[in-house]
Amino acid sequence: MFKNHLKIAWRTIKNEKLFTFIKIGGLAIGIAACVLIALFIQDELSYDQHIVEKDNVFRVYSEGVYDGDKERVTWFQAPFAKALKTDFPEIEKSGRYLTSELFGAGNKQLRIEGEIQNYFESNFIFADQELLELFEIPFVEGKIENALSEPATIVISQDKADKYFPNGNAVGNTLILDNDTNKPYKITGVMKNTSAKSHFDYDFIITMEGRDFYPGENENWRATNYYTYIKINDQTNVQQLEQKLLSVVEKYLIPIEQENGNADDIKYLKSLQYKLQPVHEIHLRSRGIQDGLKHSDIRFTWLFAAIAGFILILACINFINLSTAKSANRAKEVGLRKTIGAFRHNLVSQFLVESILFSLGSFVIGIGLAWLLLPMFNSVASKSLFIPWDQWWFILIMVASSLFIGFLAGLYPAYYLSSFKPIQVLKGSLSIGSKSGKLRSGLVIFQFTTSIVLIISTLVIHQQMDFILNKELGYSKDQVLVVKGTSTLGDEVENFKDQLLQLPEVKHVTISEYLPIEGTKRNTNQFWEDGKRETTIGGQIWRVDHDYLKTLGIKLKEGRDFSLDFASDSIENVIINQTLVTKLGLKDPIGKIITNGRPKTVIGVVEDFHLNNLKEDITPLVMAVGNSQGIISVKLSSAQIDSALSSIAAVWQTKVPNQSFRYTFLDQDFALMHEDVQRIGKIFNAFAFLAILVACLGLFALSAFMVEQRKKEISIRVVLGASFRSIYKLLTINFLKLIFVAVLISIPIAWYMMSRWLEDFAYRMSIGWELFVEGAIIALLIAIFTISYQSIGAALIKPLKSLRTE
Amino acid sequence: MIKIENLKKSFRTEEVETLALNSVNLKVEGGEFVAIMGPSGCGKSTLLNIIGMLDNPNEGYYYFNDQEVGGLKENQRTKIRKGNLGFVFQSFNLIDELTVFENVELPLIYLNMKKSEREQKVKKVLERMKIAHREKHFPQQLSGGQQQRVAIARAVVTNAKLILADEPTGNLDSKNGIEVMNLLTELNQEGTTIVMVTHSDRDSHYAHRVINLFDGQIVTESQNKPFEVNA
Repeated sequence: MFKNHLKIAWRTIKNEKLFTFIKIGGLAIGIAACVLIALFIQDELSYDQHIVEKDNVFRVYSEGVYDGDKERVTWFQAPFAKALKTDFPEIEKSGRYLTSELFGAGNKQLRIEGEIQNYFESNFIFADQELLELFEIPFVEGKIENALSEPATIVISQDKADKYFPNGNAVGNTLILDNDTNKPYKITGVMKNTSAKSHFDYDFIITMEGRDFYPGENENWRATNYYTYIKINDQTNVQQLEQKLLSVVEKYLIPIEQENGNADDIKYLKSLQYKLQPVHEIHLRSRGIQDGLKHSDIRFTWLFAAIAGFILILACINFINLSTAKSANRAKEVGLRKTIGAFRHNLVSQFLVESILFSLGSFVIGIGLAWLLLPMFNSVASKSLFIPWDQWWFILIMVASSLFIGFLAGLYPAYYLSSFKPIQVLKGSLSIGSKSGKLRSGLVIFQFTTSIVLIISTLVIHQQMDFILNKELGYSKDQVLVVKGTSTLGDEVENFKDQLLQLPEVKHVTISEYLPIEGTKRNTNQFWEDGKRETTIGGQIWRVDHDYLKTLGIKLKEGRDFSLDFASDSIENVIINQTLVTKLGLKDPIGKIITNGRPKTVIGVVEDFHLNNLKEDITPLVMAVGNSQGIISVKLSSAQIDSALSSIAAVWQTKVPNQSFRYTFLDQDFALMHEDVQRIGKIFNAFAFLAILVACLGLFALSAFMVEQRKKEISIRVVLGASFRSIYKLLTINFLKLIFVAVLISIPIAWYMMSRWLEDFAYRMSIGWELFVEGAIIALLIAIFTISYQSIGAALIKPLKSLRTE
Repeated sequence: MIKIENLKKSFRTEEVETLALNSVNLKVEGGEFVAIMGPSGCGKSTLLNIIGMLDNPNEGYYYFNDQEVGGLKENQRTKIRKGNLGFVFQSFNLIDELTVFENVELPLIYLNMKKSEREQKVKKVLERMKIAHREKHFPQQLSGGQQQRVAIARAVVTNAKLILADEPTGNLDSKNGIEVMNLLTELNQEGTTIVMVTHSDRDSHYAHRVINLFDGQIVTESQNKPFEVNA
């Protein structure tokens, strides 16, 4: 019997090429989307799962109310980690790491001791020995025990070991960093390359043993620079421990602030809570926690999963719609089979075999499609996913899923088709296909609702991205070259600046530690107007030079820019932003004294400019003149970027011949800061395209079916004198009504979804009605185009031909 | 074999109720060849469908081999139909996707017969119907007469005791029509009971007995003298 089912299924497929193509093709697209997203999600969920004791390893963060806002912060004082381990017996291990460029983490010049050539490397951090143990980092060379226990030791990644020591034996070698021959670092271990993902991913880990970044650092309870992790024993109750940790505030922090007598700080400390975040949740569940790391958002992970699932459902709908629509062809067969002795369950199983066969075919094609699309998907999603062909579970999941999908998509058609009464079929009194018409309409509406929601969402995301890129930022990011790795210039930095200013292509040059983009340093300070200690405002202080405002095109609102004519500009004068003026309530700010402990005179107020990405509000800012070797920004005067670049590179080579000249452009850095938005935009693009493609395939097939079914009616109408237009309208209007209903349903859904998404941005566009109109028009046009192919064909029918064959 | 008592069947549309069969009483003995005649809409096919257990009566009794089957559910009817009844339709009703061989084989599959046994039976019946040379063809590749021979082959392959034929020659030319009628007569002579609905006077002469229906009632019943099979 099974063989007979297969035979019929195969012959039906052969006879119904268009419908088969659409059924299988649509499902294959849905499956490809699901496979890609499943790989993506699997990757996202795998972060830090390899840590055997992951349930006992936590990152500490603090939650406190600051300026009326709740703040979650992951940076702690240098002695914090040690105090935790000493004070709480539940804590077995504690470890810190530090990524601050201020203290030398991040980028460095590297060379092997005894060689001359320096190489530029990034991804340096400082860490404790116990941190390696907490993360259970596997070693390929050396041993994790005691790897960082001695001063001046360093652990490197396998990639870097392969790069610098291709013959192995990296351990025991010595590295010179930033030409500092007084502080050589001995390599004590090589971290193994694994496929396991971690939020903690660095190439060079320098020990913190025996190191004070400044005198007395390890007893300093004020500066917060360290990520702190702990490992607890099995018996510990996490909530209870979180409560107990509060004693740290009482014991170490409050006494110091009481000494200083700062009421605001004490208030903040009293609001403080310590929270323990499981290490494997850091990658996906760190929204609202300030940690300066790039990670994903669990909401998007599930949103993508939902959308991929929806696309698969759309494809299943095509399957159901086409199977029931084409039931006329199968009704006779059903009637006959029943007449000669088939039970209903025989027929149900026959149709299920058929749909499972379809599903298996679709899976084969779908997985192939996913494989083809994977490189593209990887570049969009910034991943390096691969299809695990050699894993038994992958094959198992695929086979099981194809059976499941085949069953799911085939169940309704099987019950519908097998319900035909032989008597009705044989008498010809069954109006085939019409019974399930309402369901079909409903499913078409569902398909287009999904598609239109995705289209509108895509439009909103792209518009927000445009809004970000074109927003008036308060500074000019165009034609600003940012020179990297300038710390190697050393004392030559001012001289380098002067030489650049000689170049005809260069308009302004500024040396600063800060730029209004992500990835450059940030700090927190407390400011108050001199003599008004009761109102303190948190803000940043940026060390800049005299040309900072000019180079970045930041506009002065009142007062004056820094000038070499005033010696005091380099000592005590500051320029502040409008936000700080407002928050401090300064009237006539010019000449006012503000202080963070050290008094400063306000000589200028700048119009607010964005200090970070547009998800963040503009915060109070103080700019002061100060020597720094951080970043050199060059405002170019013309569009002749190429000649400017080669001139600047030439100057660079005269200063540091062993160093390659590296640079970025400020506008690119700015766009990069919003890369996540662009990435989501691209993924939505792809999804919207797939959804509308699948929906249109279905619509195309349905309209083909309808035309086929009404051929005789159309012919008679044409004989009776119906015009092309009236036939076209007759065949198109019903479908368009469905699309219109879908538009109405999708608008509030899209509006709600996108409003929620935009809430993440402090600066956002408003969703106008034009977007919905645009989305609706796109969907309608695509639908009309899809249906028209069939409708026009039908309206041009040669009536005699189809009537004669009746 | 068949005993029908006081059978009533009506069809209801939204506005009207049509009485298709009204107090029909009928007896068919095993081995008989009965023709049912009458004008269009008189209830012939309805009666045949009820006899074939494709439909249930509204009122009255239908005994098949002394078992009341008029009130049975679809699955129960299918059970009785399997292997006992064979159908031959005016429009042949073969499954387009299956070959001649497979069409004939189908009822045996539903009887869960072994493959070797099925092959043997199908081959035999196809040879008998003189269509064996076309066993690999699909229905559309055959002439009407050939298609109807396949349909008859399918009806008898299970050794059905009763064959129900609904205007079996209606779509055939006279030569093919005669051939089909000869086949049915042969089957009848071998012991198969045949109930046939027909419009054709000529075909009715092949039957032992002719029942005339009018407006859902049996109006006349006449006996034919035994018919000689044309060579």
